[in-house]
This record gives sequence, C-alpha cells and structure tokens, in this order.
Amino acid sequence: MATTMRPVLCPHCGAQVRKNGYCSECYLPLSMLKKAQNTSNYYYNIGYDRASARDLSGAIESLLQALRYNKRNVPARNLLGLIYYEMGEAVQAMSEWVMSINYQQENNLATKYLKELKKDPARLESVDQLARKFNMAIQYAHSEDYDLSILQLKSALSDNPHFVKGYLLLALLYIGTDNYEKARVTLRRVLKIDKANSLAVHYLREMGDTEENIIEMRKQNVDNDGLLDDDYLEEIVVTEDGRAPKKIEKKNLFQEIKAKKDTSVVRTGQFGQVSLAKYSGLYMLLGLAFGVLLFSFFILPGQKKKLRVENEQLIKTYSEELAGKNSTINSLSAEVDSLTKQIDTLQNGAAQGETDLPDYSNVVSGMSDTDLQNMIDKE
Amino acid sequence: MINFEEELKRFSPIPEVNQAEEAIYSNDLKDISDIVLQMTQDLRNTGSILDNAVSVRARRR
Repeated sequence: MATTMRPVLCPHCGAQVRKNGYCSECYLPLSMLKKAQNTSNYYYNIGYDRASARDLSGAIESLLQALRYNKRNVPARNLLGLIYYEMGEAVQAMSEWVMSINYQQENNLATKYLKELKKDPARLESVDQLARKFNMAIQYAHSEDYDLSILQLKSALSDNPHFVKGYLLLALLYIGTDNYEKARVTLRRVLKIDKANSLAVHYLREMGDTEENIIEMRKQNVDNDGLLDDDYLEEIVVTEDGRAPKKIEKKNLFQEIKAKKDTSVVRTGQFGQVSLAKYSGLYMLLGLAFGVLLFSFFILPGQKKKLRVENEQLIKTYSEELAGKNSTINSLSAEVDSLTKQIDTLQNGAAQGETDLPDYSNVVSGMSDTDLQNMIDKE
Repeated sequence: MINFEEELKRFSPIPEVNQAEEAIYSNDLKDISDIVLQMTQDLRNTGSILDNAVSVRARRR
C-alpha cells in the first residue's frame, strides 16, 4: 500500500519545499528558516518570562528580537501588543494585533483582544484622548511651557495610571524644574509598572540614588503617594548643589536616606499652582452665610412689614363684620322679646275666655243619647 | 547630570487612534528571512550585472 507524503511547505512564503531543501518560490533554505523559528521562539520565551516578572521594557526588547527572527511568530506579536496595552500605548497594541491576525486568522487571541477593544467605544475615546494629551504635553515641553505640560500629563495619567511614557516625561519635567522629590515619586510609579525601565533607572541614578534605593523603590506602595493630586502653594525646596531636597512637603520613605546626604538648604520660594478645588467647601459655606445675612437684613424686614399690614387689614375687616353681626343679634333679641310678650298676652286672653264659658255638665248628664243628638242637630 | 533638552528629544509623539492605520502600515518589520531574501536578490542582480560585464568584455575582445 502506497503512503502519500505530505509536502513540506516553506514557512516564509507557503510554497512547496524542494527535495534539496530549498523553497521552490523564494529559494530560501528550509534549515535556515527552521533555525530562525527556533531562535524566535527562544526569545519569545525570554520575553514571556520577563513579562511575567513585570520587566515590561525588557520583555518588549526580547519580543522585538523574536520578531526580528520570525515576524510570523503570532504569540510573540500578541504578547507584545498586550505589553504595549498595559503600558498605555493602545494604538501600538492594536497595530501588533492587526498584524498578528494578518498572519493567522483563526485561533488567534488577537481577534479577542481587538473585539473587546472595539466593543467599548468609551475606552477607544479615552485612548485617543490620552494620546492627544501626551502629544500636547510634548509640544508644551518643547515650547518651555512646563506648567501646562505637567498639567496635561497629570490629566493623561489620571485617565490611564499605567501610561509609562507619560510618567517618564513628567519625571523629566520635574527634574527640569528642580522638583526632585516629585520626580522620584513619579519614577517610583514607573518602576511599579515596569520594574527595570532603563530610562527611569537612569534618571534615578543621575539624581544620586543608589542601587539599593532603586530596589527598595520597587517594593514601595504607590497608591497614596498623592502624585496626581492638586498642589496648593507647594514650596519647592532644593539643596545648594541643586540635587536632592532635604525637606519635602509630603511624607516620603526616602526622606531619611536623603537627609543624611544633604548639608544645607536653600529655599527658592517658588510657588506651585493654586488649586481652588480644595477650598470649594469653604467657599460654599461662606456663600451660604452671606446669603443668610443678605436675606435677614434686606429681604426679611420688608416681608415682615407687608405681613403686618395684611394682618391689620384682616383684623379691621373682621371687626366691622363682628359689629354688624352684633347689631343684628340685638335687633333680633328685641323682636323676640316683643313676640314673647305678645304670646303671653294671647295666652292670658285665652285663659280668661275659658273661665267665662257656662257650665253645661249638669244639663248634659241628665240627657239621653238621642236627646243629645237632637240637640246637636238643632244647633 | 541630566541634560534636560537632550532627554526631551527622546520623547516622540505617540500615534492617535485615527493614525492607527498608518501605524499598522509602518509596522512592517523585516525578519531574518526578508533580509536573506533581499541579499540573495541583490546578489543575483549583481551576478547578472557581472555576467553582462564579462560577456560585453568578451565580445569586445
């Protein structure tokens, strides 16, 4: 029984591979393509391990290397997209997923990711806003409008607190404005998302942080560092050499470490942005109190006077009505008296009439019924 | 010490959603097989040029 051999297909172009081991279309050697695939998978595994350990920039590096050996490595592309998405670069992520689907239409995780992203228009809008804000922040930074740039970045980061590039630019702006402690807090957030971000580590080293400090930073909690809160009259304190601050306006774990290094402190007396939002409650109370005073001094007396006049008018009307009713009652009482007198007079007269009638009882008692009937008939 | 201006140059704008198509087209990464293919193509072209040059020289002789 003859067995049919499945033709070997070229991983590059999909054409049949000849017996000599070269592709019939692209003439590439199959052995080389296989080696490239293996190397790509090796880098993908490294990338996967790095991503699992939250070394996202290291993972990106490895995954890009994997794609340089084999651009059709779908899992590498999907993971790269996922890492871009985690770091707040959704458009880059979408680009990787689309390419992945282009190479493999079926059984591809990228289809699921893209579907989920397309299902949520609000998410897409927020991605777009984030990109716009970041690009505007770069423009502002280039035109030396650092405050505006910082505001834009803070707004972008409050939309997506995992946007690593945003944090890095924010940290650079803080360094540029001699706000080293804030730069440190910002870079700490970067290290929380991407543990070995080379740019963040570079900035920290330049600011004088040791390796131990950097390692310590990765373990610290960043949830309540207040980085994205509004600042009110924030005083920037720098040392004479313009490096690490001795005093900071917020409690920080690096305070003690830095305090040992610093010698003298010069206050630059710069003031940060004044936030009105913090005092909105106080303003509301003041407004309420002012309103109450205005009401009691200007509006309330007028209202009182008006009510008094209305009451007086009402009392007057009722008094007049009462007087009228009283006079009616008096006249009616007089009428009742006269009528009572008349009744008495009439009753007396009737009583008198009754006594004046003759007594016929003796006569009637002696008569028979027929006689009495005759007498009535006569009458 | 950090050179602010130099560091700022590292930051380039990121693509917005309406630029996604452009980002996808520009994402045409070349892998090792593309490079080898390009090299063999170039060699073939160079080879054919060399062959042409040899044949022209031979004719002249």
